[in-house]
Amino acid sequence: MDFTVSEDQATLTQGVRDYLAGVHTPEVLRELDVSEGRRSAAIWQGLVEMGLPGLLVPEAAGGLGLSLLDGVLIAAELGRAGVAEPIADTALIAAPLLAKAGGQDALLGAIASGEAKVALQHPLNPWVADLDAATHLLSVKDEALMLAQRTPAKAGVQESLGAGPRPSPGYSEGKPLDSVDPLRRIFAPVAAEGVAVGSADALLDHAALISAAQLVGIADAMLALSTEYAKNRNQFGQPIGSFQAVKHHLATAVVKIEFAKPVLQRAAVALGEGSAHAAVHVSHAKIAATDAAWAMGETAIQVHGAMGYTYEVDLHFWMKRCWALSGGWGDRAFHLRRIDAAVIGGSLPIGPGHTFA
Amino acid sequence: MNLAYTPEQQAFRAEVRAWMKANVPKEPLVTLEREEGYHQHVEWERKLASGNWGMVTWPEAYGGRGLDLIQWLIFEEEYYRAGAPLRANQNGIFLLGPTIMEFGTEEQKARFLTPMAKGEVIWAQAWSEPNAGSDMAAITSKAIRDGDHYVISGQKTWSSRASFADWGFGLFRTDAESKRHKGLSFILFDLNAPGVTRRPIRQLHGDPGFAELFFDEVRVPVENRIAGEGEGWNVAMATAGFERGLMLRSPARFQAAAARLVALFRQHEAKAAPAAREQVMQAWMDAQAYAYNTYAVASKIMAGGHIGAEASLNKIFWSELDRAAHRTAMQLLGASAELRHFDGGQLNAWLEGYIFSLSGPIYAGSNEIQRNIIAERLLGLPR
Repeated sequence: MDFTVSEDQATLTQGVRDYLAGVHTPEVLRELDVSEGRRSAAIWQGLVEMGLPGLLVPEAAGGLGLSLLDGVLIAAELGRAGVAEPIADTALIAAPLLAKAGGQDALLGAIASGEAKVALQHPLNPWVADLDAATHLLSVKDEALMLAQRTPAKAGVQESLGAGPRPSPGYSEGKPLDSVDPLRRIFAPVAAEGVAVGSADALLDHAALISAAQLVGIADAMLALSTEYAKNRNQFGQPIGSFQAVKHHLATAVVKIEFAKPVLQRAAVALGEGSAHAAVHVSHAKIAATDAAWAMGETAIQVHGAMGYTYEVDLHFWMKRCWALSGGWGDRAFHLRRIDAAVIGGSLPIGPGHTFA
Repeated sequence: MNLAYTPEQQAFRAEVRAWMKANVPKEPLVTLEREEGYHQHVEWERKLASGNWGMVTWPEAYGGRGLDLIQWLIFEEEYYRAGAPLRANQNGIFLLGPTIMEFGTEEQKARFLTPMAKGEVIWAQAWSEPNAGSDMAAITSKAIRDGDHYVISGQKTWSSRASFADWGFGLFRTDAESKRHKGLSFILFDLNAPGVTRRPIRQLHGDPGFAELFFDEVRVPVENRIAGEGEGWNVAMATAGFERGLMLRSPARFQAAAARLVALFRQHEAKAAPAAREQVMQAWMDAQAYAYNTYAVASKIMAGGHIGAEASLNKIFWSELDRAAHRTAMQLLGASAELRHFDGGQLNAWLEGYIFSLSGPIYAGSNEIQRNIIAERLLGLPR
C-alpha cells in the first residue's frame, strides 16, 4: 500500500508543466482564438517533440508504455495550460484503448510519432471533437467500440486498415457545431462503421477519467489566476486578497480541488488495473473534478469582479473549457446514476475496511 | 502508487478484526460526556491496553506496537467496522502524545506516555480562555516561577474531558510582562491538584463533556513543562497541527457514518426528499475522498514528507462532510429526528451525532481560522 506519486512521475509532470508554461501561454490562446482553424501545427509538433503522443503507447509500438496514472497527471497539465490540440483524446484516451484491443501496433506507432489523430464519438455526446483533423475515428455501434480510418471525400472509395481484420468503411464528414469554448472544434456525430476494438463503456470510462483530470488542471489554473488577481488588485487602499471574504472564497475552492485529486488518482489506478468497480471510481472522479472546477469558475469570476465578466482577461478560456468538459463524457446525472446503483443499490461494498475494495 | 495491501497488512487486519470481534462491548456505552459513560469508556481504554492496542503507532517502550501509519489506518478501519466506543483519551493519545514524542525529554516520555497508552491517566486539554478563543495568543493565565515550581493562576474554558479526566495540558504565560505569542509555556498539570476547581459546562446535548477550569495558585513542578520556557506557542502549534492533521479524525469514522446513512436512506427511501438521494451519495463520496487523502498523507509522511498548512484543508473537509451527513440523516428521520430515543427505546444516535457534528467546524481552530491559514500560507495572500 503506497498512495504516492513516484519521483519519476512528479519529474515528468513538472517537465510538461514547465514546457507548457513556457510555450503555451495565455497570449497563445488569444492568437489561436483569432486564427482561422484554431489549431497550430507548431504547437502539435512541440507536443510531439516532448513525447506526449506516445506516453501511453506500449514500448513495443514505439511509445513509453506509461500508466493511466501518468496519463491523468499529464492530462491535468494539458488542462492547466488550456491546450486545445486533440492530444488528450488521441494519446491519453484512444492509445490505451487500442493497446488493450491488441493488433493495432501500426496505428499506435503512428500515434506515438504524432502522425495519427483519433477522434472519439459516443452516444452520450452530441458532438465529436476535432473530427476534421482526425485520421481515425473511434465510435460506438451496439455497445461495441469501432475503429474507422478517415475516408477521402470521394464516394465509394474505401481504404483498408493496415492492421484490421477487415476493410474499414470509414466515416463521413461532420457538420461543424459552435461551442462556447472558442478553442474547441466540435462536429455533429457522423455515421461510422469500422472494426471492433473494445467496448463502448471502456471508451466512456477512459474519456471520463481524462476529462476529470483536465478539469482538475483547469481548476488549478483558475485558482492561480484568481490568487494573482487578488494579490494585485487594490481597493480601499489594499489588495482585495487581504479581505477575509475574498480569502474564504478562495480557500473553500482550494479544499474542493485538493480533495478531488486523490479521488482522480485512485480512479486512474482502478481503471488501469481493470478492477471490478473501476467505473464507480471513475464516476466519483468525474463528479468530484466537475464540482471542484465548476465552483472554482464561479469563485474565479467573483474574485475578478467585473473584469472576470469580460473577454479581455484570460479567465474565460478555462471557465468555458470547464463547462464543456463537465457535461461531456457523462454529465453529473449520468455519473450519479452509476454511483447510485453501486452505493445505494448495494453492488459495491462500503464502510470502513472498504476503502480500496 | 500501489493500492493493494501486502499479505502482512492483511494478516494484521485479520488480527485486529478478531480481537475487536471478541472484545468490543455488545451494547453501546453510555455517552462519554456523562460521568457514568466516562467511566465505561475509561474501562474500555484499559481493555484496549490489555490487548496492547492503546496506541499502535507508538514505540513498544511506551506501550505501543511500533507500527506504521498504514497499519494505523487499518487498525482504525477495523475499530470502526466493529463499532467500538469513542476514545476517552483522544486528547492524550492523538494530541499530547505526539507532542511529548516530539518535544519531551526522555524522562517525560517515560513518565507520561506509557500510562497514557495504557489508559491509566486520561487527559483533558486546556487551551481556550474566556477572552482567548480563536485568538489563542490572547491567553492571560499565568504560571509564575517560584523555585522549582510554577504557580498557576487564571481560568481556562471549553476544556474537553476536563469534567472527569485526571490530568490536563495547556498554555500559560510564564513571563508575566510578555505579550501575544511570546512568553508562553506548555505545561502539564494534575486536575486534582490543590487550587484547581472544575466547573462542568452543559453542552448543547445537555451533558457536561467539557468544563471551565479555575486555577488558584496551583503549584506545578517545573519538570511538567514541555520544551523550553517561553517556547509554548511553537509547541502548541505543533499540537494543533496533529489535531487538524492526520490522526484526530480517522477516515473510518466517516466511512462508518456514510454506510449507516446509506442503510437509513434505504429504510426511508419511499418518503425521502428527491435531494436526499444525492446527499447520501455525496456523504459516501466525501468519506471516500477523505480516506484516499488520508492514505496519501500517511504514505507521504512514511516516505519522509511532512504535513504543514495542508492540515487546515483536512480539518475543513472532515468537519463539513460530517455535519452534512448528519444533517441528511436528520432530514431523512423527519418528524422522528427530535426524539432522543426512538419508540423502541434505542438511542437516536443521529441526533447525538448531528449535535456533535456542529462542534466540528468550531473546535481545533474554527473553520474561519483554517480558511485564513489556507489563504495566507498556501496561497500567499496578504495578512
